[in-house]
Amino acid sequence: MAATTGGFAGKVLRVDLSTGKISTQDTREKYGDVLGGTGLGYQVLWEEVPPGTGPFDSANKLVFATGVLAGTGVPCNGRTAVTTIFPTCWPKPLVGSGHMGGNFAAKLKYAGYDALIVEGRADRPVWLFIRDARVELRDASHLWGSGIRRTNLEISQEMGADCSVAAIGQAGERLAPMAIVANSLSHSAGGVGGVMGSKNLKAVGVQGSGAVRIAGDKGEWEKLIKFHLSILGGNNQHVVPSFPTPQSEYYNPASRWVGEPGRRWGAAEPPVEITGNIFDLNRIAYRTNSAAFFLGEGAWKHTVRGNGCTACPIRCHTVIKVPSVAAKYGIHETAQNTCSGLNFGRAFFKALPGGFKGPTALEACMVGMHLADDLGLWCNYGQLQRDFLKLQREGLLKAKLGATEYASIAWDKFESGDPTFLFDILPRIGERRGELGQVLSQGTAGLFRHWSMQEDDWGRDHAARYWKMGHPKHHSSEDDGQCGVIINTQYNRDAQCHSHTNFVRNGLPLSVQKRLAAEIWGSPDAVDGAGDYTPMNLHKARRARWSLVRKELHDSLGLCNWMGPWVASPLKERGYRGDDSLESRFYSLATGRKLDREGLDRMGERIFTLHRALTMRDMGQLDMRAHHDLAPAWVFKDQNGAAPFTKGTIRMDRDDISRAMDLFYEVMGWDKATGAPTAEAYARLGLKEVGKAMHAQKLMPGDAA
Amino acid sequence: MSPEEQARLTEAATEVVLQASREGRLTSRKDVLEALVADGYFHQAAGHVDTDNARQTPTEEEAAIALAGILAGHPGLASFEGLSGETVYHAPDLLSRTFARILDRKGSPLLLMAEEIRANSRDYPRPVPVELFEAPPFALAPEEIGHVLHAMAADPGYQDISFTTAPTGAVYLFSTLHLERGYAAFLALRAESLSENP
Repeated sequence: MAATTGGFAGKVLRVDLSTGKISTQDTREKYGDVLGGTGLGYQVLWEEVPPGTGPFDSANKLVFATGVLAGTGVPCNGRTAVTTIFPTCWPKPLVGSGHMGGNFAAKLKYAGYDALIVEGRADRPVWLFIRDARVELRDASHLWGSGIRRTNLEISQEMGADCSVAAIGQAGERLAPMAIVANSLSHSAGGVGGVMGSKNLKAVGVQGSGAVRIAGDKGEWEKLIKFHLSILGGNNQHVVPSFPTPQSEYYNPASRWVGEPGRRWGAAEPPVEITGNIFDLNRIAYRTNSAAFFLGEGAWKHTVRGNGCTACPIRCHTVIKVPSVAAKYGIHETAQNTCSGLNFGRAFFKALPGGFKGPTALEACMVGMHLADDLGLWCNYGQLQRDFLKLQREGLLKAKLGATEYASIAWDKFESGDPTFLFDILPRIGERRGELGQVLSQGTAGLFRHWSMQEDDWGRDHAARYWKMGHPKHHSSEDDGQCGVIINTQYNRDAQCHSHTNFVRNGLPLSVQKRLAAEIWGSPDAVDGAGDYTPMNLHKARRARWSLVRKELHDSLGLCNWMGPWVASPLKERGYRGDDSLESRFYSLATGRKLDREGLDRMGERIFTLHRALTMRDMGQLDMRAHHDLAPAWVFKDQNGAAPFTKGTIRMDRDDISRAMDLFYEVMGWDKATGAPTAEAYARLGLKEVGKAMHAQKLMPGDAA
Repeated sequence: MSPEEQARLTEAATEVVLQASREGRLTSRKDVLEALVADGYFHQAAGHVDTDNARQTPTEEEAAIALAGILAGHPGLASFEGLSGETVYHAPDLLSRTFARILDRKGSPLLLMAEEIRANSRDYPRPVPVELFEAPPFALAPEEIGHVLHAMAADPGYQDISFTTAPTGAVYLFSTLHLERGYAAFLALRAESLSENP
């Protein structure tokens, strides 16, 4: 191992929009212990943003932070965490992060910066020009009012084609809590666009001519990258294909690894047929076709290619071309996105002609992407659409909106499943027009705040999939029993954690998953079959802890937690094992600072604990167990009346979940009664000063209220 | 047969199985022997004299007898009794056990579907969408699948094969030997909802 340092670009860029002051800090010295990403964001908020600061107050800060491994050759390293006081959090804004892929992270590092901290508020619309050491605030009055696409185009023309532009649309300008910032057209961070708008910051354009230095031996580095590639599966690290192959003992029709020889990217020019061995490293990018997985088989003929983030061979943002939509709807014939972004348009309908994977659904998705990715509107992981459908289904919109406004909505198009309905409804929300736009643009919190709807009602509704604090569940008991529940209790927005779900959905037989679980978490009982849950045990608590720590680690290293961790693999010869130490080996080689798996996980735990402390401080709450770590009522009820722990139900048992929280707090070293980190936990993680501050505010277990 | 000749025969026979596996085919001992003949193995071997043991290399008949032991004992090869009753061989690293069984059963759609449904219900566990059998490597026509399902319903040997229909209308097949009906219905519903649960 070389003694030199690498990984970090070296500087954090700080821009005060109120004064125009632009400065830099040494990353390693100031933020080295939190790696970057969310870790850096939490530290900035902890040190610089006082409790009680509102999301749109000029005192709030917006931290765009990459990580140590962003911009290197490590697969799936294109992530930027955007951390701030999160505006969709109910009933009180608290810390949260949006995450975007694309190529912004790499460009920022090549320009010499690990992070960008935006402070204050400009007195007029501006955009931030970053070209290596040259950093300028430029007038954005000509861009204000434009959508994300035009903004991207104009800034790209000004800077040059090799820049990356992260911009907001009209939703962000109008301070919609449900606004995104997006780079590379479709790579968005939800919920933070309005904060950017509140600062009069339309966009950040970045261009870098530098590189990220790797401290360790180049041969070892390349070897490790090759190894990492060899254990990759398809999207979300699904390690078996959706079809039987000669190369694999296993397959899973529900796998996101849908590409196989004989399939065609029908809209590529000329069309591309997948050939050869799909297990070959040079075929990884053919495995994933998000459009085909989410929108149906018919999407293959519309597929142009897979797009994605820096150094990611998965390419989960599928580019699709549907020429008919240009004439029919007057929109561009190509679009690209993944997951919720692809689903955006069709999810606004209760029914569509031809079903949800038919041609009309595809058109609705094209229209949805066209509008949402330009207006810069967020879906809150599908909650916007579920809320809309619930409000409509239960007659609540009719009851709450004035008759004139209600009648102005194109309900006939909604009822008939006409995608042009989206041209009516999405601009209302994105541009915050009328009462409907004002309320829905605030997310579910808007319904509680303005229409006095009861959070408990949402929490009882299985179909709404609402979890807490204004946000939905994100891979909870429906995927992973108690582990999913614990993870979903921990954040102030939806959990965005994939460490657990990428394992249980990896497609391997349960017996293989249990064998791997025994090796990684100490017991086969750390994992259950979906809907065949057993009572809580210590190993599940360890897996929940591991999942959360890895999530924060990935978010802080610049790696993609939508793709990782990589503890299972497609490799029969490895017994389908992945590698649990991959992140620490990359970190050690990149930085020249040798850390083993436990050492790096401790850093992840430090970051997660800092998030905990920040949340407690800003809530002014010691008893997190009673006031924060909550699960909605639907989790404890089966629609068919099935009892917990019977096969075929995701219903959890209240006492068992209580025990789950006990065990989770125990493995975290937190106080069982309150769920608050102890002085020992803070000290063990190098957060003694944070612990002291918490104690001073009577937020340490044992402190008298 | 001398150790050297045994080794030569092992190498040649193994290569025949490996090549077949690379090409997605199963191989019987007869196939191996025919391939060796076609490759001129015995012709070349006839002129080869084992000087240490002062005897000629094996005849085709001797090789045929030896092949069973050679192929069965090879650590890189696997075998099973195929539907034809013959033992068939493959290299699992190139042609997985699962895929080999599918290839072997392709001549019997009824058994092909039933055993695949049972294996999925037992091992993962999960029901499988009926459309699975329309795609390669099964590649059954929808009409054929329909016929097979009707035949199963009437055959006492397949009474464990059942189906559940998800609210989307999708039909999933499962074996009651390994999955309870209610659990199969749950898993089918879950599978159908995955594209809306990103």
